[in-house]
Amino acid sequence: MSKKRKGSFSVSRFAVYSMLGFGLIFYGVPLLWLFVAGTRSQVSLFSDPVFTIGTWAQAKETWHDLTSYNDFQILNWAKNSVIYSLGGVSLSLATAIPAGYALAVTEFPGRKSILVLTLIAMITPSQAIVLPIFLELLALGLNNTYLGLILATGFFPFGIYLSYVFFSSSLPKGVMDSARVDGCNRFQLFIHIALPLAKPVIALVAFFSFLANWSNYFLAFVLLSSEKLFNLPLGLTALINSSGALENQAANDIPIRMPEAIQAAIVVVAPVLVVFLMAQRYVRTGMLAGAEKG
Amino acid sequence: MAEVELQKVTKMFGALQVIHGVDLTISSGEFVVFVGPSGSGKSTLLRMVSGLETVSDGDVLIDGEDMTFAEPSERGIAMVFQSYALYPHMNVYNNMAFNLRLSRYSKAEAKKLVHDAARILRIEDLLDRSPAELSGGQRQRVAIGRAIVRKPKVFLFDEPLSNLDAALRVQMRLEIERLHRELDATMIYVTHDQVEAMTMADRIVVLDKGSIQQVGTPMELYKRPKNLFVAGFIGSPKMNFFDAKVSSDGSENVHLVANSKTTFKLPNLRLNANDDLTVGVRPEEISVYTSIAEVPDTHIAMTARVDAVERLGNINYGYFNVGAEELVIAQIMGHTDLDHGQQIVFGVPKAELHVFDSAGQSLTAG
Repeated sequence: MSKKRKGSFSVSRFAVYSMLGFGLIFYGVPLLWLFVAGTRSQVSLFSDPVFTIGTWAQAKETWHDLTSYNDFQILNWAKNSVIYSLGGVSLSLATAIPAGYALAVTEFPGRKSILVLTLIAMITPSQAIVLPIFLELLALGLNNTYLGLILATGFFPFGIYLSYVFFSSSLPKGVMDSARVDGCNRFQLFIHIALPLAKPVIALVAFFSFLANWSNYFLAFVLLSSEKLFNLPLGLTALINSSGALENQAANDIPIRMPEAIQAAIVVVAPVLVVFLMAQRYVRTGMLAGAEKG
Repeated sequence: MAEVELQKVTKMFGALQVIHGVDLTISSGEFVVFVGPSGSGKSTLLRMVSGLETVSDGDVLIDGEDMTFAEPSERGIAMVFQSYALYPHMNVYNNMAFNLRLSRYSKAEAKKLVHDAARILRIEDLLDRSPAELSGGQRQRVAIGRAIVRKPKVFLFDEPLSNLDAALRVQMRLEIERLHRELDATMIYVTHDQVEAMTMADRIVVLDKGSIQQVGTPMELYKRPKNLFVAGFIGSPKMNFFDAKVSSDGSENVHLVANSKTTFKLPNLRLNANDDLTVGVRPEEISVYTSIAEVPDTHIAMTARVDAVERLGNINYGYFNVGAEELVIAQIMGHTDLDHGQQIVFGVPKAELHVFDSAGQSLTAG
């Protein structure tokens, strides 16, 4: 009997571990390769085994080529990305958290329809609304400006929905009642009680908003035409296209080749990893919110 | 200190009426307990006094002022919740000072008030802790401390002890009684536990299905329950009930439905022939005898088989089967030799009978 249980136990264990192993290899290997390949020379990339580690000097030289190219434009793009992301995250937090709170704790006519609209907006692909946004910003004269893209990305229905779910499931009712008896008006209730308790969902919304903003390609592609205003994803594409780094053509004198393109990709990916590692404690508790009674 | 007055207070949740025109006056400094089973509307009624729940119809007066539409903070009340409802992101001091901060007290004043309250509740050494670091009893002390800091006119307690274990419950019960004596404040206390109601209240308000069943001192409710609900709800173990019928000849003779041979007279009550009655007797009024001959004339004699005996040391509860569906509970003090399966005779004193008509209203409470 115990033998049988042990047997079935190890079968399920095997299934679980092989699935985990597959996931780790399938998704992890390309990422690992990216970090390794950034240290190698163009020649090494073609001739040496896949996971050969290059030299520090080589990596530094590649980094120098990449950053100094075209008057340090990649650093400018990185700065732009930071501006767009900070602006977009701030704006989406400032709108999504109060909106979700209002939808969760108050009763007003049209509340249900707004919730449904939020859900519809959430599942609408950004490609579908990019043209009206473009026309709108054009009318306002905000095309090709920092503010234009930030305003466009501050619209974050998913954040509203996350915040709504958090506030409607995880806000202890007795605490809110108690604060009302203590003399909080609606605004103070939000500022003094709801907001301090909402740290997990703030972190969660900020994280997802950052993710969307940092890797925002399509909207930026449509709204920005001046290279000076490009963010990293847009810049990376421009860099690769203009230099022909990934095309197997005869060597030109542009110093952007495959290793430089790889390091540029690392510049795009690394901040997301860092931000996730920093935010993961909050993000995890945020995702569990409502699963257990607080 | 303030009087609280409810005038024809009604509450609807959509089409469902949960409070049916409650009229009640609570005098200044009184300790009133709302008691009833879950769903009786006692918490809703308290929340309407606090202003956390709107009033569908009727008026709420506090200290003579109409507070029906006032915000909770304008009513001069403080409330203690079953879940303690401490602010998890503030330490104990800030929990207690939160109201003072909102009412723009100076820092020094707030500090003094908080420390005074903390001293009364003996939680001075907990002021720096966060609620998560406190035990249930400590949390409830802080919640009570938070309530007394602001010197409210009326204290509202919503089942404050239900989350505590039995020993702590007794301790906190005494604590709240002490507080009531010291502060001399009006207190309204909601509980489903009739022992808490009996021990703490100046007056008890028994609620069922959103209506007041009876209002009175604990002993009034115990001695003269107005209806079957109050009779069954107040007292532990609960009152024994027997279905009975008035004889067809129009006399005062009454017989039990379960055993038509058990007949007795109920004089001075307005009985009609063939009326259905319920007679009740408290477990402590029942006496056990060895034979029918021993049962005095003042008592109704019944025979039964002992179903079980619970021995608690100083007190015993006998469960007697008289052939009806419900067992009869008798309280026997001291030592008893009764045992399962034994045939016995017990006597019920006629003077201690509670008689209810077919609508459940008492004929004996007067």
